Amino acid sequence: MFKLKYLYKFVWILAGLFGGAAWAQQGVAFVLNSNDDTVSLIDTRTYKEISRKRVGREPHHLMITPDRKSLIVASVQSHDLIFFDPVTGEPQKRIDKIIDPYQLGFSPDSKWFVTAALALDRVDIYTAADYKLVKRLPAPRGPSHLIFSADNRHVIFTLQHTNAVMVVDMIAQAVKGTYSIGKTPAGIWMSPDDKHIFVGLLGEDNVAVMDWRSGQMVKKIVTAPGAHNFMPMGDKRRLLVTNRVANSVSIIDMHTLSVLETFKVPGGPDDMEITADGKELWVTSRWINKVTVIDMETRKVKTQIPVGRSPHGIYFHHHAPRQ
Amino acid sequence: MIESFSQQFTALQGWLFETAIQPLVYHLGLMAYVEPVYEGLGTAMVGIIEIAVLVALLKPLERWRPVEQWAEKRAVRADVLYTWLHRLGVLPMAIFLLLVIPFNELEIWLRMHDIVRPNIEDVMPWLERNSVGAFVIYLLLLDLVEYWLHRWQHKFNGWWALHSLHHSQRQMTFWADDRNHLLDDVITSAAVALAALIIGVPSGQFFLLIIAGRMIESLSHANVRLSFGRLGERLLVSPKFHRAHHAIGVGHEGVNRGCNFAVLFPLWDIVFRTANFQSAYEPTGIRDQLQGRDYGIGFWRQQWLGLVRLRDAFRRAGGGAGFAP
Repeated sequence: MFKLKYLYKFVWILAGLFGGAAWAQQGVAFVLNSNDDTVSLIDTRTYKEISRKRVGREPHHLMITPDRKSLIVASVQSHDLIFFDPVTGEPQKRIDKIIDPYQLGFSPDSKWFVTAALALDRVDIYTAADYKLVKRLPAPRGPSHLIFSADNRHVIFTLQHTNAVMVVDMIAQAVKGTYSIGKTPAGIWMSPDDKHIFVGLLGEDNVAVMDWRSGQMVKKIVTAPGAHNFMPMGDKRRLLVTNRVANSVSIIDMHTLSVLETFKVPGGPDDMEITADGKELWVTSRWINKVTVIDMETRKVKTQIPVGRSPHGIYFHHHAPRQ
Repeated sequence: MIESFSQQFTALQGWLFETAIQPLVYHLGLMAYVEPVYEGLGTAMVGIIEIAVLVALLKPLERWRPVEQWAEKRAVRADVLYTWLHRLGVLPMAIFLLLVIPFNELEIWLRMHDIVRPNIEDVMPWLERNSVGAFVIYLLLLDLVEYWLHRWQHKFNGWWALHSLHHSQRQMTFWADDRNHLLDDVITSAAVALAALIIGVPSGQFFLLIIAGRMIESLSHANVRLSFGRLGERLLVSPKFHRAHHAIGVGHEGVNRGCNFAVLFPLWDIVFRTANFQSAYEPTGIRDQLQGRDYGIGFWRQQWLGLVRLRDAFRRAGGGAGFAP
């Protein structure tokens, strides 16, 4: 049985290598269809869905590896990671027994790989080199999104069902502190100076800014109802946030802690990706099973691309710097 | 056509959700549950369409070739209510809420001990690239689980005390499929959830086929003279095949306390020697109804009498006189 399994995986990878050549020179957007257990591959030039590949059960989020050679798709029900070539969209390998990997992240020094198990109320720490489990930390209810501090020392999790954030010390590999933050915290981002976290409060109309070392609230930046997830625009200053209830996206100035502008994005905007030239913003519209492409010059909808059910995580390789 | 329908369905679901449901969820402070609520809206919408299709297709069929005709149809009203409660997702949601905590705890405990819920694909990795094949295998396995649950619903007196409500319908129509005691629903749901922990669950991408399966179950209860032919009768549960399961003196008696237990595929009745392809279109109901036992007409009365029968079954197990098939 084991031999057959390996043979099968070999054939799968082989098929990927030959099948993928045609798309190698094009930009491919990956969109995770959480309720279909598939990933939609979209040609970013023609806005057409190239193919729809089956992945594990209930994929939610994806993450590029530190060497940028693989894109990891994490599935919470099949407890696995599937690696794709981020340029061609072809599968590379699968790692199983990564339990409930709802959200994932690498430490900046590429030493650690961390997952948030939303359904199981715990966080798991793996060595990034081989994905071996090192530590399992029980957490308060609903660990959801996570971000590392620049010095690799800390990782901060939002606790969706606890209305708090949790700071984990990576050296001690223990919980350092838990701080109340507001209703249903979801996405999290770190300020360029590493001092503050930005947390999207899905149950409120604002983004909480907190000094994560002290747990002191700095400001609540009012955006619109259902503030959810972030994407930096690459200039170390402007940060995009989706407002799922209001059907909009706001641009926050990370220096002045204010909203620069807000524009409409239909269909329950969730995760985002922005092109390297900053001209297009791609947003998963969760409630209408589409990806919405926004022309960032006009801030208007450029096109919408039908994908699978409950589109969630999104990625393309030619994205703006994550800063 | 399916794609076009699917797009329109999604557009309507999205519009309803964004304009009416999500703002309510937000103001109630329940945004942590916004995704399950969205799924619930989809379930309710599918249920409404499902019922509309059932009425449009099966009503004319029942008028065209009825097995029986009744002047008065009061007995069917409660079945209509059961169907709406089920297909709108009201009862499944209530049962889910009842079971979600213990099953989550169980699953968390298993996973914390590195006992990971298996998927068929782990055992048969070639299925990872053959989603249709994987779905068919899941369907067969879950149907096998339901077959045995159904056998036990007839075998154990306590369980039969509840399940007999389903069989007490003497005016059987396509509405009768969801006519069940609520406690029976809870027990079978828990058993299926437990089975899913062991064998895994089919992929969500085949929800249309799952709906088709539910419609076949409704069809199998229809008041219609309809056989699928010699081969078809052995492939898929037909109204003729399932009517034998509901027939007085046939469907709930004998060594196996009944016949034709399969939900979708008669294969399991053939394998376990409980198939009956001979029965004609017999009257439905339970033998003791002929001697005057009351199973109730209305929803609440039916539920109450089910609990009374359950109490009697336990008394009988304790040595007293009580309820048994």
